[in-house]
Amino acid sequence: MFEIFRRLWALNWAEQWQYRANLLMYLLFWLVSPVVYLAVWTTVAQTQGNVNGLTANDFAAYYMVLLVVDVLTSQITIHVLAPEIQNGNLSNRLLLPAHPVLTQVLVNNIAFKALNLIALVPIWLVLYLLFRPALNLNALYLLLAVPALIVAFGILFLLGSALALVAFWTTRVWALWNFYSAVFMLFAGHFVPLALLPPVLQTIARLLPFPYTLYFPIQLILGKLGPQDIALNFGMQSVWLALAWVIFRLVWRAGVRQFSAVGA
Amino acid sequence: MNALRIIGAFLRLNVQVALAYRSEAVVQILLNLMWLGWELTSLAIIFANTNELGGWGPAELVALLGVWRLVNTMMSIIVWPNTEKFNQGLRDGSLDYTFLQPANSQFLVSVTRIELWRLWDFVIAVVLIVAGLGMSGRVATPANIATFLALTVSGAAVLYSLWIVMIAVTFWFTRFDNNVTILAALMDAGRFPAQVYPFWLRLLITFVIPIAVATTVPLQGLRGELAWWETAGFLALGVLAVWVSSRLWKAGVRRYSGASS
Repeated sequence: MFEIFRRLWALNWAEQWQYRANLLMYLLFWLVSPVVYLAVWTTVAQTQGNVNGLTANDFAAYYMVLLVVDVLTSQITIHVLAPEIQNGNLSNRLLLPAHPVLTQVLVNNIAFKALNLIALVPIWLVLYLLFRPALNLNALYLLLAVPALIVAFGILFLLGSALALVAFWTTRVWALWNFYSAVFMLFAGHFVPLALLPPVLQTIARLLPFPYTLYFPIQLILGKLGPQDIALNFGMQSVWLALAWVIFRLVWRAGVRQFSAVGA
Repeated sequence: MNALRIIGAFLRLNVQVALAYRSEAVVQILLNLMWLGWELTSLAIIFANTNELGGWGPAELVALLGVWRLVNTMMSIIVWPNTEKFNQGLRDGSLDYTFLQPANSQFLVSVTRIELWRLWDFVIAVVLIVAGLGMSGRVATPANIATFLALTVSGAAVLYSLWIVMIAVTFWFTRFDNNVTILAALMDAGRFPAQVYPFWLRLLITFVIPIAVATTVPLQGLRGELAWWETAGFLALGVLAVWVSSRLWKAGVRRYSGASS
């Protein structure tokens, strides 16, 4: 199994490296909206001193950490998997004695992430110098963030894969993805730290997996959570990881049975 | 007259395309409505926490959202689809046929593809602008409205010209098929007034990739905040941009030698 991953890594890294210029553009695309929201919320905080206790510096710190957390936990499965299902290439992979999503697609995601992270470092430093947030980082919280980030990626990867697998049934999978992204951006804490959402939306957010994949790691790294909250959030993460696994397995099994490759 | 006939022909062609993919259009319209809901929700959340954003009230931001959507609609009806067609044509050589036709080539590459069903987005944009204005309780004088319309047109002309410059640059650097990404990426920054952004970002979206010229500036005109010489300056910028870009386009076309040769 290890050998499979090693080979796949070499392959996918080489593939991603070939597209490094495109990757920079992708990063630019992805970067604009967090920076815009950072600017919007710091402006609001500056005009009135604070927003519900959050100062301009809090917002700057929040979004600077968000940039890193988002790269670490996000996934691009739909871009890899949906085309393979639609053009029938998945048939070849189904013949291999390893799960295509849990090997090839997973490694592809990680290679993309690794390259993105390298490109993000200089950009992040420039933004840090431009906004100069005071970050009080604590070794213990950073250590705790490691499992939180891995589980968060696991949840998003499994959910994203399950969603991409809808391509087995319909070609409208991109519209579904669009909808999923909008829900994610609102309830994960992309647009605003969740504490500022109206109470109704906060309640909805707590019932969804998204706050545990972005907002929780950010708050953890910023040292905003007490021991009880941390334990609770880790608990919710485990529940969602298990649920995401079940959803993924169910969709996969039903989908493969449904699959009749194009051109076969 | 000739130009109108060409547009008419392309319109007929694009109506046929749109009719072939009816359900796709319905899905896209629904998605667009969802994003509208998202954008309005985000404004509601911002103004639940503050009374003003960089000196602008909620009603004015609704109007700004309308202007931003107006510009975005222009981009998605003609600019993005034609970019795709242009880049592909440059790569596989089919652009040759465009240049062989007896009409202005810049005009041809700008109107070949028209995503007609997005015209519906124009309606939403205009409704947002009118509603925003109504909510603000501000009475816009006819002069303000005229300024607004003129600035919107010239702002759109500036962005269109920038696009022409960006794709014309590909004549020199053929492998540069990310030619318009920076423009597409920064479009999102137009949803909020430029005054909100830190100095460097304001410079970027005012002078380098002038999205603010097509969004914030027209609305400032509508609010009567611009001195006459500022308005004149922005209008002159529009004319200048169109002139420069068409010159650059012609220079680029002269360099073009076809993908196959």
